[in-house]
Amino acid sequence: MKTVLVVDDEFGIVSVLEALLEDAGYRVLTAANGRKGLERLAERRPDVAVLDFMMPLMDGAAMARAMREHRDWRDIPIVMMSAVTEASLRARFDGYDAFLRKPFRAEDLLSAIARLVG
Amino acid sequence: MNAIGETAAALQRVPSGVPGMDEVLKGGFLKGGVYIFQGTPGAGKTIFANQICFHHAASGGRAVYVTLLAESHTRMLQHLRPMSFFDESAIPERIYYVSAFRTLEDEGLKGLIDLLRREIRGHRAGVLVLDGLVAAEESAPSDREFKKFIHELQSHAAAADCTVFLLTSGRTPAVVPEHTMVDGLIELEDRLHEMRTERCLQVRKFRGSGTLRGRHSFRITPDGIRVYPRLETALATPSRRPASPEGRITSGVAALDALLPGGVPFASTTALMGPSGAGKTTLALQFLAPATTEAPGLFFGLYETPDRLRAKARAIGFDLGAKEARGDVRVEWFPQGENLLDELGHHLLEAVKKAGVERLVIDGLGGFMESAIDPSRISRFFSVLANELRALGVTTLCTLETRELFGPVLQVPITGFSSLVENLIVMRYVEVRGRLVPLISIAKVRDGAFDPALHAFRITAQGVQIEAPFEGYESILTGLPHETGEHASRRRRSARRRPPEE
Repeated sequence: MKTVLVVDDEFGIVSVLEALLEDAGYRVLTAANGRKGLERLAERRPDVAVLDFMMPLMDGAAMARAMREHRDWRDIPIVMMSAVTEASLRARFDGYDAFLRKPFRAEDLLSAIARLVG
Repeated sequence: MNAIGETAAALQRVPSGVPGMDEVLKGGFLKGGVYIFQGTPGAGKTIFANQICFHHAASGGRAVYVTLLAESHTRMLQHLRPMSFFDESAIPERIYYVSAFRTLEDEGLKGLIDLLRREIRGHRAGVLVLDGLVAAEESAPSDREFKKFIHELQSHAAAADCTVFLLTSGRTPAVVPEHTMVDGLIELEDRLHEMRTERCLQVRKFRGSGTLRGRHSFRITPDGIRVYPRLETALATPSRRPASPEGRITSGVAALDALLPGGVPFASTTALMGPSGAGKTTLALQFLAPATTEAPGLFFGLYETPDRLRAKARAIGFDLGAKEARGDVRVEWFPQGENLLDELGHHLLEAVKKAGVERLVIDGLGGFMESAIDPSRISRFFSVLANELRALGVTTLCTLETRELFGPVLQVPITGFSSLVENLIVMRYVEVRGRLVPLISIAKVRDGAFDPALHAFRITAQGVQIEAPFEGYESILTGLPHETGEHASRRRRSARRRPPEE
């Protein structure tokens, strides 16, 4: 069973994604910000990470950078999601493998994850 | 200068970016202050706070918007996107949205204050919004702990020069602990009056500065929130020294100028009263005919559409469209819907100031009265509006429809109306031998001579044509005059001299 780490500060979104991914056969880990997300990574290595861009304490970009710099995590595929446009995001960070603009359809997320985890 | 004035002068302000709000606050929020926005769901708190954030970002600042148990950021941004103040490019660099709900759930108020402090510092935020304060309040073990949270937030905000806005739907008690601690409390309401609603706000508390007291209407428009400071308090003192009342200007009708005489006094307000269809709007259009690009006129109408006005003007040989094209006259039309009284007043004054209007027609006052949810305001509202127009050097003619077509009593639906205007012109019908005859008379010219005689008038292709004094009848103002004895016998003699018809 593949594992997905979902990191988002919005409680409602985490709940929805958790249910959606579990229904699709994934094991799901969750965290409310980048800092907590790194703690989860240390506990268990996921097959893919779904990160929200804007989060308190440590945002999605900072967490993704930390992953890319870490020997054990640098090859974990990252799906970045945000309510703002990708253009606004790219000015700050572009080290992700897929981008989803909120709100997105469930199929878009599932197909992005399926494509990345193979 | 008093102590409050000195303090206000020393404190830096943060403009709200909400039109009209800084006027209510006499300059904006105080930098580093903590303010509560309280209102029921749907009152407009979220739009208000976002508008402040986007304005702050557009001015070069940075803002952080933190939600607790509020709508998701995705939904919020979707709702905000159509508004003209929304600027996608400001997010996330200058406006940053985060949810702190999980932190509050996991770590309580201590975790929340830590998160807010870090976000303020990390983003170098000049504005912080905490949307959903009630969730923090509910998670506090006691009022004392919640007060400590507010106090700590105040300290961090002051240290970082960050102005904080706490949004809450509020609790039932009139006075709650946090209200005593924060620098300001702004209450937003969506009030129901019979069938219609009115959004309004009230500054209940504001440390360090005076504010415009009482309730002020606001609207949520495609451009965001627009506040209309209540005119009676906003213009309690006119914005400038009143223009000298010396001199007269033409009324646009030569025969009327002869009655006044010399025209209407400069920078005065004239009420033109009469029943429906008497010719008030026609006379008002003639009043605007002398307007020029240098001394422009404004027709501020609430009833007839601009197209109908142009057609009406054409019928009396006045090319209103050409005057508009040249910039001599401007037509503003506010159809009767659910206008707000102060909205009309502010739009009128803005249009006057923008074009430097010297001749103004308000057609008619009834439309203003219908917009007033509280009719007891009308008299003072018109009083301050007239004072401001006078101060701006505007000569105003306003129409007012009377209820009766004819009769002994003139019903004026505004208390103390006569004292609000300098000049009063009355149009009415009287019945004479089975025909309705329209009459015009000057009832009042403040501090000036005028011809008090009643005159018949006709509306011709040249407009209102005033005829000779209406003589030979008594009890004219009852609407049912009868001939004087002398007039009746003169008429009989004249009829006898007339040769018999073939």
